[in-house]
Amino acid sequence: MAAYKIMIIEDDPLIRTELKHMLWGNGYDAVTVSDFSKTVKEVKKQAPHLILLDIRLPVADGFSLCSEIRTFSDIPIVFVTSSHTDMDELNSIMLGGDAYITKPYHTAILLAKIASLLKKAYPAGNQEVMPYQNTFLHLESGRLECNGRQVDLTKNELKILYYLYKNAGRICPRSDLIDFLWDNQLYVDDNTLSVNVNRIRDKLASIGLHDFIKTKHRQGYFI
Amino acid sequence: MNGKLYWKQKIPLLILNGTGMAALTVFLLLNGVNSDSLILILVVWEVILAGYLAGTYLLRKSQLDKLLGMAEQLEERYLLPEIMERPIWADDQVFYRLLKLSGKSMLEQTDKAKREAAEYREYIEQWIHEMKTPITAMKLICENRKSDFSKDLLVELEQANRYTEQALFYARSEHPEKDYFVREIRLFDVVHQAIGENRYLLRQSNVLIDLAETDDTVYSDEKWLCFILNQVIVNAVKYRAQAPVIQFYTEHAGNEVSLCIADNGIGIRAGDLPRIFEKGFTGENGRNTSQAATGMGLYLCKRLCDKLDIGITAASNGKTVFRLSFHINDFIHQVQS
Repeated sequence: MAAYKIMIIEDDPLIRTELKHMLWGNGYDAVTVSDFSKTVKEVKKQAPHLILLDIRLPVADGFSLCSEIRTFSDIPIVFVTSSHTDMDELNSIMLGGDAYITKPYHTAILLAKIASLLKKAYPAGNQEVMPYQNTFLHLESGRLECNGRQVDLTKNELKILYYLYKNAGRICPRSDLIDFLWDNQLYVDDNTLSVNVNRIRDKLASIGLHDFIKTKHRQGYFI
Repeated sequence: MNGKLYWKQKIPLLILNGTGMAALTVFLLLNGVNSDSLILILVVWEVILAGYLAGTYLLRKSQLDKLLGMAEQLEERYLLPEIMERPIWADDQVFYRLLKLSGKSMLEQTDKAKREAAEYREYIEQWIHEMKTPITAMKLICENRKSDFSKDLLVELEQANRYTEQALFYARSEHPEKDYFVREIRLFDVVHQAIGENRYLLRQSNVLIDLAETDDTVYSDEKWLCFILNQVIVNAVKYRAQAPVIQFYTEHAGNEVSLCIADNGIGIRAGDLPRIFEKGFTGENGRNTSQAATGMGLYLCKRLCDKLDIGITAASNGKTVFRLSFHINDFIHQVQS
């Protein structure tokens, strides 16, 4: 499946570049606008799946751009701005913005917003089952399947496995794993992570999967 | 009006009259006027003089009492010269003019000060928004290049952001009604947001988060509530003890729902408890920890809570518990359903 294309309309060049790298690093295709007199033309030409839109921009501000884009497209628009006033927030919703995020945002929160908006706007694209070797991770029902046998997973366990599946074959440092869980509003510490991983191992052993999650001493886990 | 002083000021007039009477008596006696007529003349003189003095005294007193009464009732007393009648006597008119002049110049001064304060506040708000751009850029740079080094920086960036937010909310807390956006919000959504804004600090301090998540909703302003939670979380981290834990849970009582934030930190001394929401109060803890307390955080919380009609209380009894109480507005629910 081709990556979603996200357009960044932001006047600070440094933030623009870093945002682009961040989106690339998370599996999105990112394009930017640098000539703000041709923003709308650029949107039509690039036809992105989602737009990140700053409010304070040279030439035309985010609000007028948003209403102009809305005349020909329904793509999700996320307002990203440093001014957190209620008028701005209200305006952005009235003019057809889909979300409103204030700077300095958490990349995790921004990514979560982007993912949920994309999922809503393009329902076909979401992946519900992740395969690895002879196992399947069912994200919707929260189960792991191996050779026809299934086991239920808790929220924590599912997220840990999801991260390991996504990075299959790579070592996942414990701190990255904890970061990922915090991104998903699961506030585990080092000990809890160990407990959770051990519990997963027990569960996997019960359906005949032994030594599935391996520990790399002092580095992290991998499958 | 001070009666004694008034009469003292009339002494020259009395002396003048006395002298006049004496001179007239001598003059009339020398011209052979009989004593009966003389007494009559002097009595008439005295009656007229007494009448005049009593009349002017009463008139004056009633005029001045009226002015005093007016000033008493007026909420903004500096406006008195604007509403008082123009006096009839020449010397009073001079004072009236002086009052008006000084009042006018004072109004100009206060207007100027007000304008300057408003301009300054505007500038501060502007400045804070501008500060957010570099903070965002630095955050992105750090998050794109994760390392131990960048994580330390991220903790500091969170702190920088917190201070700018505090300044913003201080500037806005004057007129919060301009910046309300009350709607139904899920309490734990705000909790997640507040934890997210402090995640690097919480991770660095090895704080365990214990959530008893519920779906309770309240009608309030999300960003103000998040700011209040931020302050409470930061305090819990600042005054933590061994194996720190912060718990979030809700409680129901009557038509109130409370969000409680409990920590197992060093606690607040009973003697300090009643004063922790005062501006600039740092207490025993604030003075003894390595990080200096400003006494601003909780003061702002209290101020915002008052404006938002949220009850905020603190208790410290083994655990330190901050409790935010919201009225459940049955009326809104009834209207909606």
